[in-house]
Amino acid sequence: MDEQLNHAPCGFLTLSEDGVILSINQTLLKILDYTQDSLTGQHVNSILTVPARMFFQFYFFSLLKLEHQVEEMYISLASNKGEEIPVLINALSRTVKETTLFECILIPMRKRNEYENELLLAKKETEEALKAKHKVNAELETTLKKLQIQKEELLELNKQNHNYKIETKKELELARIIQETSLTDPINNEKVQMEVFYNASGELSGDIYGIYQIDQHRFGIILLDVMGHGISSALITMTLQSLFQRLISAGFAVEIVMKELDSHLHKLFRNNEEARHYSTGIFLLIDTERQIIDYVNAGHPPALWQDSDGKQYELFSTAPPLGTFEGVEFKTKTFTFSKGGRLLLYTDGVDPLASNHLAPLLKKTIALPLFKLKEEILQSLNNEKNVYHKNDDESFILIDLK
Amino acid sequence: MDQDILFRNNVKVKGHGSQSIIFAPGFGCDQTVWKSVAEAFEKDYQIILFDYVGSGRSDIHAYDSKRYSSLAGYAQDVLDVCSALDLKNTVFVGHSVGSMIGMLASLSHPEYFSHLVMIGPSPCYLNDPPHYYGGFEKEDLLGLIDMMDKNYIGWANVFASTVTNNPERPEVKHQLEERFCSTDPIIARQFAEAAFFADNRSDLIKVTVPSLILQCSNDIIAPLAVGEYIHQHLPNSMLKYMDATGHCPHMSHPEETIRLIRQYLSMASIDVSLAGRGAHF
Repeated sequence: MDEQLNHAPCGFLTLSEDGVILSINQTLLKILDYTQDSLTGQHVNSILTVPARMFFQFYFFSLLKLEHQVEEMYISLASNKGEEIPVLINALSRTVKETTLFECILIPMRKRNEYENELLLAKKETEEALKAKHKVNAELETTLKKLQIQKEELLELNKQNHNYKIETKKELELARIIQETSLTDPINNEKVQMEVFYNASGELSGDIYGIYQIDQHRFGIILLDVMGHGISSALITMTLQSLFQRLISAGFAVEIVMKELDSHLHKLFRNNEEARHYSTGIFLLIDTERQIIDYVNAGHPPALWQDSDGKQYELFSTAPPLGTFEGVEFKTKTFTFSKGGRLLLYTDGVDPLASNHLAPLLKKTIALPLFKLKEEILQSLNNEKNVYHKNDDESFILIDLK
Repeated sequence: MDQDILFRNNVKVKGHGSQSIIFAPGFGCDQTVWKSVAEAFEKDYQIILFDYVGSGRSDIHAYDSKRYSSLAGYAQDVLDVCSALDLKNTVFVGHSVGSMIGMLASLSHPEYFSHLVMIGPSPCYLNDPPHYYGGFEKEDLLGLIDMMDKNYIGWANVFASTVTNNPERPEVKHQLEERFCSTDPIIARQFAEAAFFADNRSDLIKVTVPSLILQCSNDIIAPLAVGEYIHQHLPNSMLKYMDATGHCPHMSHPEETIRLIRQYLSMASIDVSLAGRGAHF
């Protein structure tokens, strides 16, 4: 071997096609810790670590066979003492006189190897981190999809709810019309003059009234307030209305009408205590010929009677509300009146604080026509509404007895 | 014919003949390694070449890390190709782990194959003392995988860039890129793990398709003892010792490889025709 090549600052090796070492320079022998050349004639495997032997089979020989050269291949050599030496190898396949030789130079790369190990480690860590990130991303993606689905479900529910609301609103509006249709008109003739006001807190009211002319001289006026308000109360007002309309029109006595209404409520809730509703009510039977008024007040706010001189009387409650205690007796009270007097019947929605402001109002407006008084009362209701947020049904009936 | 599979596995069909031969590459290789051997059979046989999903010019999008975490996934690639081409009684020639992949494929569909030719096969690379010598300890195999990482096998064109600088051989770069650069590093690593840590020793006895084992001299990857172990446990197998050294005789010693395969196939066809006449030996 050329002296310069023998001591070149890199290992030099020639191999046969089968991998047998044909020559090896001093530098490489020194690297491998062999004092003399005992390697020539040996297979190259004897200076390779086991993984390097496999790698040589898979890549080194294949590449030299197919591409005739190898450059910068990393492998590990095994020294005489079994030490692992990382090297970079360049090789060339050369055919001289029909014999193919593999010529290789090898450069140890311990420091670079450590550096590369660090790089590989960092790469692996980065890959792990990336994998973790992808995993988290995928989870977020899944969560996002779930949220999207939930959102769509909510939107659908909301739509259904909205449709339901519109439907319900329509139904309630229809029900309101039906309830108001059941209300009788005020009577205005040579004997009496009336104004009525009826306002539900919601679509439907728990208040109900009825005004009937029984014969030429007699008039029945009833005003009921079923506890609570809204749909359930309104349904009960309708059953009561159908009953009192028949009874009053037929001219039954005041206590009988009230007793029947009371019994009706008891019967209605006999088997369902939880649904039990009671109702306050006042019923007046006015006889314009005899100038007397029979009445029963069952737990209702007192009606106001003001005679032509402006003197006021309150028609206080004479019995507990309808539907509370069974077997209650309803005793009719009677008083005589002089013509020119004025009556006010109202539900507690009109005077929620029982402030008695209606009586002065009545007195103040004695000289005014009935519709003016109605306006005044409505005005006072509006004023109150600005102060309190009321949520009750409001009804009142004004009657002038001529 | 399932075009998707043919595209997915980069299937190439060549040659003339009613009998087909399918060539399966070993670890780290694609179908180009069969160039010399396959060409020799083109005249008389239909030649089928393919790449496993993740290697060569296969469709990398079809890669499924779960499916290809074991050799069964690669065997399914072979079965898919056979099914797509409607192959029956084809000769399977596999190199290294490719022969084990073919053997596994033959277990689920023996009718696809007439013969298995195994070049440098090993059912298990790990030593399992005292009765089995695979040739390697676990750390050796891990060391190989590390060395692949260090040489950027599969993920950078280090080998290829070498050649870029060689103006005398411009055609080589393209070939190299085909061979080494079309494999994702993670895929290459997974294939290495699936191939080198597989243990298919218990499957050998179940094989019904007759086989030829080509055993190289001085093959450190599939040593003599391993070839003999397979021969002992594989029913209806023939073992041929090659003069060729190393692990890749189809590349390093194509002539001998071709000759032995030819010899086996002609013997096998006589065998089949005699067996057809009810002859016994």
